Amino acid sequence: MADDGGDDLAVRLVAGGATMLALSTLADSGMEHYRGSFRNPAMVLPLASSSMAIAFNGRRLARPRPGERTGPLVSHLTSTATGLIGLGFHFYNVTKRPGGLGFTNLFYGAPAGAPFALTMAGLFGSVADRLARGKRRLGPMHVTSGRAIGALTSFGLIGTVAEAALLHFRGAYHNPAMWFPVILPPAAAASMARDVIDDTPRAVTTALLGATAAMGLIGAGFHAYGVSRNMGGWKNWRQNFLVGPPVPAPPAFTGIAIAGLGALLLMKRRQAK
Amino acid sequence: MAIDDPQREPRAGAGRAPDVMRPGGWVPMREYREDEAVDFAIVGTGAGGGTLACKLAEAGFSVVAFDAGPYWRPLEDFASDECEQQKLYWTDDRIVDGDHPLKMGANNSGRSVGGSTVHFAMVSLRFRPEHFRTRSTLGYGVDWPIDWREMWRYYDEVERTLHISGPVRYPWGPDRGRYPLRAHPLNAAAEYLARGAEALGIDWTETPIATLSAPVGRSHPCVYRGFCVTGCSTNAKQSVLVTWLPRALKAGAEIRDLAMVGRVETKNGRCTGVHYHREGAWRFQKARNVVVAGYAIETPRLLLNSANQEFPEGLANSSGLVGKNLMTQLNQAAWGQVDDEVRSYKGPPSLAISEHWNYTDAGKDYHGGWSYMSQGPLPQVWAKSLAGGRGLWGQALIDEMARNNHSVGLKMVGEVLPYERNRVTLADETDQYGLRIPRITFSMGPNEQAMIDHAVDFMDRSLEATGARERWKEMDDTAHLNGTARMGDDPATSVVDADCRSWDIPNLWICDGSVFPTVGGVNPSLTIQAIACRTGDRIAEMSRKGEL
Repeated sequence: MADDGGDDLAVRLVAGGATMLALSTLADSGMEHYRGSFRNPAMVLPLASSSMAIAFNGRRLARPRPGERTGPLVSHLTSTATGLIGLGFHFYNVTKRPGGLGFTNLFYGAPAGAPFALTMAGLFGSVADRLARGKRRLGPMHVTSGRAIGALTSFGLIGTVAEAALLHFRGAYHNPAMWFPVILPPAAAASMARDVIDDTPRAVTTALLGATAAMGLIGAGFHAYGVSRNMGGWKNWRQNFLVGPPVPAPPAFTGIAIAGLGALLLMKRRQAK
Repeated sequence: MAIDDPQREPRAGAGRAPDVMRPGGWVPMREYREDEAVDFAIVGTGAGGGTLACKLAEAGFSVVAFDAGPYWRPLEDFASDECEQQKLYWTDDRIVDGDHPLKMGANNSGRSVGGSTVHFAMVSLRFRPEHFRTRSTLGYGVDWPIDWREMWRYYDEVERTLHISGPVRYPWGPDRGRYPLRAHPLNAAAEYLARGAEALGIDWTETPIATLSAPVGRSHPCVYRGFCVTGCSTNAKQSVLVTWLPRALKAGAEIRDLAMVGRVETKNGRCTGVHYHREGAWRFQKARNVVVAGYAIETPRLLLNSANQEFPEGLANSSGLVGKNLMTQLNQAAWGQVDDEVRSYKGPPSLAISEHWNYTDAGKDYHGGWSYMSQGPLPQVWAKSLAGGRGLWGQALIDEMARNNHSVGLKMVGEVLPYERNRVTLADETDQYGLRIPRITFSMGPNEQAMIDHAVDFMDRSLEATGARERWKEMDDTAHLNGTARMGDDPATSVVDADCRSWDIPNLWICDGSVFPTVGGVNPSLTIQAIACRTGDRIAEMSRKGEL
């Protein structure tokens, strides 16, 4: 099984998803933390760990089974830990503001979505690592069946949808296209969850995940258009790129969806045997 | 090359009006002949007149709206300079007297197409429901002839049109629909209000405000430039100039800028049109109906200046109330100094608000309500506050100005009761058009003094609770004007009915803040526009029934 070409593709997909998530996090946190003047030195951590995640997952994407073990392990643990610590920091940032855990602070305080994406990059990276090394488990998670990765995909999609829903609500859904990321990925997540529960990979899930992956890239285009709708448009890019909407955020959907395709592939391979 | 100066040469005409959304742009404009009566001649294009012009034109009436001021294109005409933007205020000669003479200008008047909304602070609040029936429910003031639930519906319409950015849930009053756009982020000045309110155990919220938090049409979201109480050069500000008037033009209304209406003509007890001064000459526009919407000073002035043999005491004045019951709003403030760099001039000045004392009656030794908001004065206004309100001058003023970035303040908007003695009359002096100028007489009563004492003390304690030091109170300031042609149910005690129709002259209407019987404890612009929307709907309905 370890030398199975199909599993190599699955490893590539999961590692590719992790790479995309890390890319999204690097660009997003780079932009937002630059905007925040790196006031807290810890604000460089996600840049460092997402860069490392891009390097190791990217390498795995190119060559699924390199011999090294320690580097990837350190990288994925760092990503997961940095993401979780970041979630804590961002939560604290929101609650310390006047009004506490209210809508305005959730809109304008530090976002939960970015550190969440880094955590997901760490988890998917670890999964790809275990798969590549022919290991069956990652802690309690049984990785080779594809079901656990599928569940992780559903969870990741829902978390990312929550962030998009909140911030698109903040933008009052002024463009009808803003409804896409709160309708399509939940459908993909639900379909994936059903496949995981039934242990039956369905074509419709592949289609929905593919559409979600495409939507993430198209979303970056929409966000670029959103930047152009600020005063001065792209001519004033140095300000408006920071004002948002964040161009690197939507591809996080792409990353999770691609990893989900890897999970589906594993499920299909196993059932075909 | 000729300089395009909208203060010297009218821009609207020759079949086109300025496009407020594009530098140098134009939009087509229908034009009406002067010798053929239009359905409505509207005097004034601000919150009352501009809104009504849109509603009436969209209802299919022929409308010509006059404004004494210029037709600006915000994107190119408003420099980021407080001095330059003095051009937006009505600074013609007036005489002010009484025990507390009103300061006229930035706080209470505008002279532009779009009226004062071109430089208003964008704070868009609903009256407290009880404040439409203060006499019956709270035992002071006078009742409005309109039910609050009806006003609530029109507030909805105005809030949608202006794309108000507001909190997800408003803490006071009956339920209201969600604001069309989400609230803006708080600036540091607003955070000080929030912290103080939380320390004193009262509610606060993000101020519902007429500047965009998301792009709408060709308007960008607010860039928090801070020139909010002057002209907004980004068009995020949802003034009448950029919201109702483009719609009015599209629906076939004509707008005549730099057109000062001096007299409303009547014959056999009905209006026949208006005399107006434009491009150096007096002209006459025939009209089947005339709407006066010049705000609390110019409206009574025009009605009184239009006195003739039929109406020797001025138009619509059988009750003798035209010009009387002038109300302003209390605008006192508490200020302090903090360690944080506040830079309160960043973003809209009033991003946080508490209406606690507008809705709570217990614990007051006075009638009426007041709200208070965070503040963000630009340097010139701040210097005036320090010089006029605190008495600093010379080096002391310079030193204090240097600490501007650490100053933080709260300002009230408080209810002034209607008193007949507070009024607008005509002085003997005349202005550049040969029209008698207004004399504005205003004195506060003991009720206002008691409210100020309570409010300023409370705001001071709120600042103290946030750790602000060197606190001081700015006691001499007012804002907004209302009254002088109040609406009511009884021709003997009011000037117009609930539809803003004159009791005396059936085709004369008054539609602006003049018709307010009471002012409530919040900024009036949203209510003026809501009344204009209601009046537009009522006129259309009356027209269908043949009652015009």
